[in-house]
Amino acid sequence: MAKLEIESEVTGNVWKVEVEAGARVDAGDVLMILESMKMEIPVEAPEDGTVAELRVTEEDAVEEDQVIAILET
Amino acid sequence: MSWEEEVREIQRRRRLAKQQGGKDGIAKQHARGRLTIRERIDALLDPGSFQEQGQATAIPDYDDNDELTGFVPANYVVGFGRIEGRRVVVGGEDFTLKGGSPNAAGLRKSVYAEHLAVQYKIPLVRSLEGGGGSVRGGGGRRGGTVGEPVYATPRFRIIADAMGEVPVVSMAAGAVAGFPAGRLVASHFSIMTRHTAQVMIGGPALVERALGVSLTKDELGGAHIHAKSGIVDNIAEDEYDLFSKVRRFLSYLPTNIHQRAPRIASEDDPERMEEELLTAVPRDSNAPFDMREIIAMIMDRDSFFEIAPGYGTSQIAGLARLDGQPVGVLANDNRVYAGAMTADAGQKYRRFVEMCDTFHLPVVNFIDQPGFMIGPEAERNGTIRYGMAAVCAAAQASVPWAAIQVHKGFGVATAAHYAPDNYVLAWPSVESGALPLEGGVAVAFHREIAAADDPDAKRRELEERLRSARSPYPRAESFAVHELIDPRETRPTLCRWVDWIQPRLDELKGPTRFPMRP
Repeated sequence: MAKLEIESEVTGNVWKVEVEAGARVDAGDVLMILESMKMEIPVEAPEDGTVAELRVTEEDAVEEDQVIAILET
Repeated sequence: MSWEEEVREIQRRRRLAKQQGGKDGIAKQHARGRLTIRERIDALLDPGSFQEQGQATAIPDYDDNDELTGFVPANYVVGFGRIEGRRVVVGGEDFTLKGGSPNAAGLRKSVYAEHLAVQYKIPLVRSLEGGGGSVRGGGGRRGGTVGEPVYATPRFRIIADAMGEVPVVSMAAGAVAGFPAGRLVASHFSIMTRHTAQVMIGGPALVERALGVSLTKDELGGAHIHAKSGIVDNIAEDEYDLFSKVRRFLSYLPTNIHQRAPRIASEDDPERMEEELLTAVPRDSNAPFDMREIIAMIMDRDSFFEIAPGYGTSQIAGLARLDGQPVGVLANDNRVYAGAMTADAGQKYRRFVEMCDTFHLPVVNFIDQPGFMIGPEAERNGTIRYGMAAVCAAAQASVPWAAIQVHKGFGVATAAHYAPDNYVLAWPSVESGALPLEGGVAVAFHREIAAADDPDAKRRELEERLRSARSPYPRAESFAVHELIDPRETRPTLCRWVDWIQPRLDELKGPTRFPMRP
């Protein structure tokens, strides 16, 4: 089991969280949607796995490179 | 009497010079997971094409009878070779000798690499590994001369000149610091290996002495640092990947500024129209889409070679072919700050345009520009200066320039996407103006919005009214664009443009007013 840190590529806000901690996800599934410069940016699971941890909730501000979720693969 | 004895001695010295740092030095280099400079040159070039210059350069030692007792090869190897049959100059430090830090004979040859490339008008490929000068070097002897004479040409002059004359490519395949790090960035394309290279101005010992922080080479200047810093353009998985990317980069460029980039016979139909282009841009203006897929559908199949994908990521830059003609490609990535021009994106853009201008590569620009990046971070980064540098580079570019208005085009930053030799196409999904509707309405109608019973509803109503009044047709009617097109027609239209610009490309050969600088 490897732990993968999912980072935000941009500074912005968490608009929608689409999964709950513990959920099984496939590579490409949308974990959450960020909003930055008025664009809705989906954050996708890079690999199949389980969402071990969500480090943000909706409306949180996030910064570039901030870890926003942990995926167990 | 023949000269057989001397000829034998010449052969012996050449053999001695090829022994590099000896068996131990070479074994050490391999144990570090790295190739030696001679192995690198052989793997980079077409087989058997290397013609070394200065095959017997060394620091010799003679006894009192003038017999050779020691022979330390120059630790820089340089010469001519071919890549895909085309001439190049290649040179690099020999790390198996003195860690690549120049010995006297090596220094003369390393300085010669740029001269050779400029004199023969041939692309230069540098393999860099080493730490540059050392205080142990020659200087400081009493009674001897110290330093260069005051009337000497600055040693860096040729490095700057080379960038305006021939393609210059640098590869870092080991630790690179000091002067070699400077040469790495003084290139049109720089690349490092992911696991075996580090690039730094000063290494860990210098950093610890100066700043009191203890960091490894990798922490200071590993690939993870420099993919984002922009110090190198691309990252290679290993040395062989490094050579293959260098060969690929050079395939798009001319041999020098006085020649044209080689147009190849394309196997991809210039009239090919991809159905998916019709739905590539979502109708919802805030939904992101994949600009790289659009580029891939329009350019010759598999011809897009992206440069600096990890740096200034809201701006995409790369080389590609259209009906076999090499072109520079620029595009905005709306998934990163909506494609806004950040300070890094501005610098990436300026350098790329200068490179295309230097080598007379036509530019194809896919525009989805919401403006300069805003916010406290953007102000601290000096975004507007680097953004304006990008605007000026485009405004003074001499190359044929196709601008495709794909989606957004707002504010001054949009000016960076047009050049004097424009061919302007627009997709029906185009939106433009002084600033995007959402923010623009809030500013322009702030009194009305504040006075309304439900300010939020009022703002949305105003945004909606202005949005519905926006139509792509007037820009075609007013001849503000050359053509409003079906996105599927983009490739055929651009391939026809490539045909029209051929005479112009002949005329552009030669020096440009603004060659690329690091």
